[in-house]
Amino acid sequence: METGGFHGYRKLPNTTSGLKLSVSDMNMNMRQQQVASSDQNCSNHSAAGEENECTVREQDRFMPIANVIRIMRKILPPHAKISDDAKETIQECVSEYISFITGEANERCQREQRKTITAEDVLWAMSKLGFDDYIEPLTMYLHRYRELEGDRTSMRGEPLGKRTVEYATLATAFVPPPFHHHNGYFGAAMPMGTYVRETPPNAASSHHHHGISNAHEPNARSI
Amino acid sequence: METNNQQQQQQGAQAQSGPYPVAGAGGSAGAGAGAPPPFQHLLQQQQQQLQMFWSYQRQEIEHVNDFKNHQLPLARIKKIMKADEDVRMISAEAPILFAKACELFILELTIRSWLHAEENKRRTLQKNDIAAAITRTDIFDFLVDIVPRDEIKDDAALVGATASGVPYYYPPIGQPAGMMIGRPAVDPATGVYVQPPSQAWQSVWQSAAEDASYGTGGAGAQRSLDGQS
Repeated sequence: METGGFHGYRKLPNTTSGLKLSVSDMNMNMRQQQVASSDQNCSNHSAAGEENECTVREQDRFMPIANVIRIMRKILPPHAKISDDAKETIQECVSEYISFITGEANERCQREQRKTITAEDVLWAMSKLGFDDYIEPLTMYLHRYRELEGDRTSMRGEPLGKRTVEYATLATAFVPPPFHHHNGYFGAAMPMGTYVRETPPNAASSHHHHGISNAHEPNARSI
Repeated sequence: METNNQQQQQQGAQAQSGPYPVAGAGGSAGAGAGAPPPFQHLLQQQQQQLQMFWSYQRQEIEHVNDFKNHQLPLARIKKIMKADEDVRMISAEAPILFAKACELFILELTIRSWLHAEENKRRTLQKNDIAAAITRTDIFDFLVDIVPRDEIKDDAALVGATASGVPYYYPPIGQPAGMMIGRPAVDPATGVYVQPPSQAWQSVWQSAAEDASYGTGGAGAQRSLDGQS
């Protein structure tokens, strides 16, 4: 464990430089898009200071390696072995994945002048960045989560309203095919379109069902 | 050459449906004395396994009931998200969705890396296997900086060989049909493996390992027939 941790420390420069580059790029984009948001950035920094994010510990930059290995084992045959450098590499890849998707989702939030990154923003970012295979299972996962954990949120009226808005956003997000710059990707746009056509029926039915259930549940509970 | 995930799926679907001429030639070659090109055969197996992976994930999510015992801690996910100073507020659902997304990401990256280890007849997953998976998959381009360039160079040679061995072309008309046909073809195959998750994948990988160890064209032909059925 200690050796692994030490290795992580050695690899710190690479990851940090990567993150810095992405952060600087995002900052430039942000400043170009919204000049007036400089004050917001300042307030953001103060908020960061308040939350002591500057002192984030080394180990907090990666997912716990035991969890990562457990997930890897689920897909590997029983006789497979995993080298230590492979374990550490997957750890770094997961953090990079979270930062990559979060950066894209946050850009969308900023463009729409919203402050909170929602699950729909995350799904939208994944779709835009090419993770099309992830959209269907994750959409199902999110719907099941809302069905099974909906008791808590349905207690409040405002969250329901917000949810309706979010569903509308979700429906809107799924209709247009993702934009790609490369010709190869345009070639792939057709199958993506096909994929999108397949998804809306399920999403739409689930949306309607969920909406109806939401409409009924609050009344029943209020009575 | 980097291959797109969907393109791989399309080719896999086409191979299963049978319009791909090389696949047919491969079958006849298997029946005859000559053996089909190893890269092409291996590529088909890999694509089938990836399709089964996604199909299985969809089925598993349909039956998920527990949202409290996540495979990955939500607090850690939130900290990594907030490492970006521009990120302000995060809804409660976002880390929960990320927990599942990261699980899928780890699984996909691991399975693609393991396929490379198998190609080299190793049973230990190494860093250069992950580098190869990153190089071969378009959506993993953002990870290129995490693996050393030397390992990428070595794998680039392998990728070059693979690319030269297997030509890629996708007729626009055939793509939708391929996808339509491919989807039902996968479901029956998945139905065959109605087992607990770990055992199902273990049996799949054991079959793959045995197939690799024997290196028999006939066995490959049988597997392809099973896939088509």
